[in-house]
Amino acid sequence: MKKIGAVVGVSLLAAIGVASLGSAQNATLKIGAITTLTGRLAEFGRQQKAGFTVAINELNAKAGSKGQQFELLLEDSASDVNKGLAAAEKLVNGNVGVILNEYSSSIVKAQAQYLSRQKVPNIIVSASDESITKPGFDYVYRINPPTDEYAKVLFQIFTDTGIKSMAILAGNGAFEKSVQASALEQAKLKNVEVVGNQVYDKGLTDFRPILNGFKARNPDAVFLVGYQEDSVAVMRQAKEVGLNPKLFAGGAAGFALPEFITGSGSASEYVVTATAWVPELKTPGNKNLYIKLVNALGGSEPTYHAAQGYAAVLVAADAIKRAGSATDREAINKALLSTDLQTSYAKIKFENFEGYKNQNRVSMVAEQVQKIGGRLQFVPIYPRSLFDAKLLFPTPAWDKR
Amino acid sequence: MEFFSQGLQGLIDGLLTGGVYAMIGAGMSLIFGVMRVVNFGHGDFVILGMYAAFASNQYLKLDPYVSLLVVLPLAFVFGFVLHRAILAKLLGANDQTTKLATLGLGLIATNLVLLQFGTEPKTVYTEYATNAWRIPLFGLELRISEVRFYAVIITALLIFGLNMMLYRTELGRAIRATAQNRLGAELQGVDTKKIYAIVYGIGVVLAAAAGVLLLPLLSATPTLGSVFTNKSFVVTILGGLGSLPGAIGGGLILGVVESLGSSLFPLMNSHFGANYRDAYGLIIFLIVLLFRPEGLFGRTVKRV
Repeated sequence: MKKIGAVVGVSLLAAIGVASLGSAQNATLKIGAITTLTGRLAEFGRQQKAGFTVAINELNAKAGSKGQQFELLLEDSASDVNKGLAAAEKLVNGNVGVILNEYSSSIVKAQAQYLSRQKVPNIIVSASDESITKPGFDYVYRINPPTDEYAKVLFQIFTDTGIKSMAILAGNGAFEKSVQASALEQAKLKNVEVVGNQVYDKGLTDFRPILNGFKARNPDAVFLVGYQEDSVAVMRQAKEVGLNPKLFAGGAAGFALPEFITGSGSASEYVVTATAWVPELKTPGNKNLYIKLVNALGGSEPTYHAAQGYAAVLVAADAIKRAGSATDREAINKALLSTDLQTSYAKIKFENFEGYKNQNRVSMVAEQVQKIGGRLQFVPIYPRSLFDAKLLFPTPAWDKR
Repeated sequence: MEFFSQGLQGLIDGLLTGGVYAMIGAGMSLIFGVMRVVNFGHGDFVILGMYAAFASNQYLKLDPYVSLLVVLPLAFVFGFVLHRAILAKLLGANDQTTKLATLGLGLIATNLVLLQFGTEPKTVYTEYATNAWRIPLFGLELRISEVRFYAVIITALLIFGLNMMLYRTELGRAIRATAQNRLGAELQGVDTKKIYAIVYGIGVVLAAAAGVLLLPLLSATPTLGSVFTNKSFVVTILGGLGSLPGAIGGGLILGVVESLGSSLFPLMNSHFGANYRDAYGLIIFLIVLLFRPEGLFGRTVKRV
């Protein structure tokens, strides 16, 4: 009985979706999108939404009032895998041709699997777990770099500064574990000794035993991977226990948010983090994009998630235009395969390489929290060819600051 | 050597964490001891305390520690009114009813916070939160976090004050009488309904105080409540339900076991790291339940 109810419910939902789309089909071209608008990852969702909005407005302004207008169907995954899947199902049944697939790897992976089974092209915006674009996932495209790029840019710094040993601390989510695995691989490759390697559970708020353990082994670098609340707690406690490596390296996510600096205050200074985009990048139109994103965020600093959200909408719109339809999933899929688009975030082209499938090739940037004019802020430093600012190294001991 | 230094530092950190656990557990234990109500919403009141301190920091620019002066009286009134308005109606009802009622109150509290503040973690930045005293000992350097030390002192003061109140004042006598035999107390002229409301208010005060003391250290998230409810269960049952010294002992033991476990086991095998933290606490919990089901400091009391 339950089963029948579910079937009826789903088909009813589908019918409603088709009906509502049918009446509006001529008016707008629809792009589906899912992100974490609420829940513990809401800050990332806010950033992505700003990027989506800026891109949609730009496209519609360009098309003019007589041209075809784009419309974003935005669903909330509420930072939860099951709610994310429900959101994906809703969009699939709503006859959407292409879906932008959000931020957290744990959530995105499940959605990508589902969407690929349903043969719905989806563009990963910011999730970086490597396995998402490893074969087995058709209809999945990714514009952001996978986690080995996160590790690569930080290990470039390790090599340049002569770091010989490191300790790593990562959360137990899909993203954190993927960065951790990439970092361990890089460590082997670059001959950096791993003296500590710990995983923590979500909700752990006391990192002191781990940090004390690291302190006893005295590593040159401490590599940290975690989301927003963890990044702040880890740095506060590193200061409290007096952990003094030559370098603190953060694997993006929580460490690249403006809230990381406001939450951990002076404890955030000198921390280096990987990030996927900075306003200082000299891509075409990037300065303009930055200004628009700041406006869309009501004055707060945009992060790479916003820039990636912006680019993802442009990629989807480009594919829809070339496919000549916003609902023909096969045609859109074919169009996505031949994407070659320069955006202000990066150049986007989906390729198969090193075991990845439909993965955009883009390298990461590293930035350091530095005090400029008495204010702590992110300063992009790597790759060195792109930026003038220098890495401050080694990190001074806590009691010598 | 590493074992020794890690162990000692782990012990200190564990005692500091345990102090706060003790305070959360004490509130729950008191409520149970007097009212025989298991307060399933206890952790959510800790969260309410955190957010109250966060709000007074945002809007009144109060330091979290100063905000104790504002938050604690409010917490008492809140608990008192809550009991008068809702729980008092359930006096004499069976266990399930009161359990569901407190669980429901906790859910409402969590979701009100969610609506008001959203789900993203909130932090209050204080410069002193990361300061630590350094104590040289046999060539080792041990560190004691200043704020966490003060948190333990405040906990000790609150519990000491509570104990004085229970054993030295007329109100305390009435509370103890109500705990021992409600009908008997009633016959002696004690307004037991009022006593219940006061006790519930005190319980909420202890929970909220723990929340305020934790705010400089942790980020507040509305859904963290269940973590604290679970911890307070473990603490009260370790020490013995309804016993104040038991809650203190249980809190300290839980804090130390968790901290020592996650400090020392990784030295032997890196697989057993901090992700097993909760397991270490629960293993001790199970052992105590097996050999002393009434808790370490608990007594089995027959009620009339």
